[in-house]
Amino acid sequence: MNPVLELSELRAGYGTGDILKGVSLYVERGKIVTIIGPNGSGKSTLLKTLIGLVPVREGDILLNGQSIRAFGATRRVRAGLAYVPQEYNVFANMTVLENLQISHEFAARKGHRPAGNVLSDELRELFPELAGKLATRAGNLSGGQRQMLAFACALSVRPDLLILDEPSAGLSPKYMADIFKSVERVNKTGVSVLMVEQNAVEALAISDQCIVMANGRVRLDATARQVEQMDLHELYLGPLAEQAA
Amino acid sequence: MISYLLLMGTIACFSAILALALNFQWGLGGMVNFGLAGFYSLGAYSAALLAVKAGANVFVATAGAMLVVGAICGIVALVTLRVAEEDYFAIVTLGVGEMLRLVVLNEDWLTGGALGVTGIPRPFGPSVASASYPIVQFGVAALVLLATFLFLNVIARSPFGRVMRAIREDEIVAATLGKNVLWARVRIFAIGGALIGLAGGMHAYYYQYIDPTQFTNILIAYAFMAVIAGGRGAHAGTVWGAVFVIVLLEGSRFLKDFIPGVNADQLAALRIILIGIGLLLLLLFRPQGFLREYRLRTRPEPKVNAAGMVTADR
Amino acid sequence: MITQTLFNGLVTGAIISLPALAITLLFGVLKFPNFAVGSIVTVAAYAVFALNVQLGWPLLVAAVVAAALCGAFLILVDSVIFRPMRDSGSITLMVASLGLGLILENLARFFYGNAARSFDLELSMPFRVGALRMNSEQLVAIGMSALLMLAMYVLLMRMPMGRKMRAIADNPSLALVRGIDRAQVIRWTWMINGTLLAGAGVLIGMDRALEPLMGTNYLIAIFAAAILGGLGSPLGAFVGALIVGTSSELSTLVLPPGYRTGVPLCFIAAILIWRPQGLFGRPLIRR
Repeated sequence: MNPVLELSELRAGYGTGDILKGVSLYVERGKIVTIIGPNGSGKSTLLKTLIGLVPVREGDILLNGQSIRAFGATRRVRAGLAYVPQEYNVFANMTVLENLQISHEFAARKGHRPAGNVLSDELRELFPELAGKLATRAGNLSGGQRQMLAFACALSVRPDLLILDEPSAGLSPKYMADIFKSVERVNKTGVSVLMVEQNAVEALAISDQCIVMANGRVRLDATARQVEQMDLHELYLGPLAEQAA
Repeated sequence: MISYLLLMGTIACFSAILALALNFQWGLGGMVNFGLAGFYSLGAYSAALLAVKAGANVFVATAGAMLVVGAICGIVALVTLRVAEEDYFAIVTLGVGEMLRLVVLNEDWLTGGALGVTGIPRPFGPSVASASYPIVQFGVAALVLLATFLFLNVIARSPFGRVMRAIREDEIVAATLGKNVLWARVRIFAIGGALIGLAGGMHAYYYQYIDPTQFTNILIAYAFMAVIAGGRGAHAGTVWGAVFVIVLLEGSRFLKDFIPGVNADQLAALRIILIGIGLLLLLLFRPQGFLREYRLRTRPEPKVNAAGMVTADR
Repeated sequence: MITQTLFNGLVTGAIISLPALAITLLFGVLKFPNFAVGSIVTVAAYAVFALNVQLGWPLLVAAVVAAALCGAFLILVDSVIFRPMRDSGSITLMVASLGLGLILENLARFFYGNAARSFDLELSMPFRVGALRMNSEQLVAIGMSALLMLAMYVLLMRMPMGRKMRAIADNPSLALVRGIDRAQVIRWTWMINGTLLAGAGVLIGMDRALEPLMGTNYLIAIFAAAILGGLGSPLGAFVGALIVGTSSELSTLVLPPGYRTGVPLCFIAAILIWRPQGLFGRPLIRR
C-alpha cells in the first residue's frame, strides 16, 4: 500500500484547547476520500491543519511518505498538496485570468508545466464557463462559477492530493452535480482527493472511502459503500452524538 | 538632593497620570491615542491661559483644562468611531494632535506662538513658604495621582467597567445585549481626555511657563513605554512604568558626561534615539501576551494574523 | 493666480504620490500603517546628500544608489524589528514604526544638524510658460513621479510579482495556500518602498531643502492621500495625492499658510464620515 497521505495521532487547534484530538487516517493513492461528521467535529480544522494554516501540536503528516509537518503552507503546496477553502477561495478583486495566472506561475516554477496557456485545454474542458469570463472580476462571479475558478486554480498546480472543504456548499443542484462530476474526472487523471462534505449522499456516491469524524477524532473509517448502507441519521444523531457528549 | 528628588517626583506624578490616561483609553477602550502630545498641550495651554489671561485660580483652571480636552476627545471619538478600525483611529488622532500643534503655533495672539505662555502663578504660592514649596507641591501632586488612581479603579469595578470589558471581549455580543458600544467608547475616550487635561494643567503649574517645544511627539513614545513597561492590566503597573521612564530620562541627561565631542543638539538627538531604541526593545521583548490583551477581537474565533496564519492565543 | 496654485498643487501632489503609494502598498501586504514613512524619506534624502555633496557623485547616480541602499536597509529593519512582531497586531506595529521614525529622524539630526542643506545642483532660474511661473525642479518632480507611477502600474498590473502583491493584499491566507512566497513578496515591497521614498526624498530636497523634519512634515498629507484614495489601492494613492496636493495649495488662497497641513486632516475626517474605504478602496473586512 502506498498512501499519498498519512496522518498519525494528529493534535492541533487554536487557543488553549485541542480541536483535533489525535487523528489517524490515510488516503490511498488515486482514491477519493470523503470526511463527514456533525458540526464542530473538527473536519474543517483538519483540512486547515493539513495545508498548514493551523499549527500542529503533536503527531505527524506524511505526504508521499515524507513528513511535511515542519513545512509552511507554501512548501506543502510545492510538495504536492492543493487546497480549496470553503469560503473566500478566490482573489475577489482580481480577474479570473489573474487568479489562474497566479497558480499557473506557481506551477511553472514547480516545473510541472512548460509555459503554455493559463487556461489549459484540460481546464477549459472541465470548466467551460470560465473561458468566456477571463476578464471578469472574480468577486462578480456567481457562487458556482467562483467554486469552479477555485477548483481550476487548485488543479493548475498539478497536485498529488487535492483537499476540498465542502465543495458543494451553497451551490444550486446543477452546480453541485457539476462539481462532483469534475471531482470524479479529475480523480481519473490520477489526482487523489480528500474532501469534507455535508451533502453526504452525493459525495459518497463518487467516493471510495469514507471517514466519519466527531469531537476531534475519527470514529469510523470504512469504504463508501459500507457507509452508504448505514442509516446516516442514526450515525449522526445516535452513537456519534453520544460519544461526542 | 532631596529637593531634586521632590521635583522629579512631582514630574513623575503628572507623567503617571498622562500614562494612566493612555492606558485607560487604549487598555480599557481599545483606542490608541497617537495625538497624545497635542491633547496634552491643549490641556496645558487651557490651564495656562485661564490662569494668566482670565485670572482663574488653580482649581478652575485645571477643571477648565479637563473639560476642554475631555470634550475634544469626546468629539473626535464620536466622529471617528463609526469606522471601527484601529488603524484609522490611530491616524486620525495623529492628525488631530498635529492640528492642535498647528493651532498653538499659529494663533499666537492667543497662545504666544513659539514664545509660549509665561508667568503661570504657583498654585499655593502665597500661603506656602518658599523653602517648603517643593514638598507641598509634591504632596499635592501625589494626592492628585492617588485620587486619579482610585477613580480609575472604581470605574474598572463599576457596571460601566463591566460593560467596557464585555465590549472588549466580544463586541458583537455586547451590542446585541443592548449596550451602546459607540457611546461607551466615546465616554471612555472623553474621560481619558479629561485625565490628559489634568496632567496638562499640572504640567503648566509645575513649569510655570509653557512653549511648543515641551510638547513634541516624543511624549507619546514615553507614554507608550510607561504603559508597556508597566505590564499587564491594572493601573498600578502603569504608574511604576511612568516612574521607570522618568528615571531613564533623567539618567540619560548624564550621558553628556560620558560622550565627549558632541554638541547640545547632537546630545538631544542621541537621547531621543536611545528612547526610540528602548521603545523598540520593550515591544520586542515584552511578552506578546500583554499587548494582545488589548485587541478587540471576539475570543472564540481563532486569531488570524496578517499572513492569514492562525496564531496561538496566550 | 488659480492656475499657478493649481500647478503648484500638481507638483506637491506628484511629490506626495510616491510615499502615499509606498504606504498603501505596505498596508496591503503587511496590514499596518507605517508611521516611520516621513522619517524614511528624510534619511533617504540625506543618503543622497551624502553621495551627491560629500562624495561628489552626480545627483541621478546618487539617487539610484541611495534608493537601492534604502531598500536594503528597510529589508534589514523589517527582519529585525517588524518580522518578530508580525503576529502581534497592528497597534504594536504602529507603535514600533513610531519608535523607528523617531530614531531615523534623530539620526539625521545627529549627523547633519538642524541647518538646512541642499543638493549639489545648478541653480535653475524660474521661467515662464504662458501665465505660469515654474522652475525645472518642479518639472523634474512631475516627470519623475509620473515615470515612477507608470513603472509601478506596469509592475502591479502586468507582472507576476505585482499580482502576488495584490493577491496577498486581497486574501493573505489564500495567497499562502496558492503557493505565494510571502517572505519574498515582503522583501520586494520594502525594496519598492525604498525606491519610492528615496525618490520622494530627492524631489523634496530639490523642491525645498534638506532638514531633519523634511519628511515628517508631509506625514499627515501622505496618510490623507492614501486614505482618501483607499488604503491598499495604488490608483487611489495617486489620485488621492493629487487631490490632497492641489487642495492644500488652493487652501493657501483662503487660509493662513501655517494651516496648510490642516487641510489633509480635514480630508481624513471627511472621508471617514462619508466613505471610509476611500475613493477606490473596498470596505475593509478583516479576515
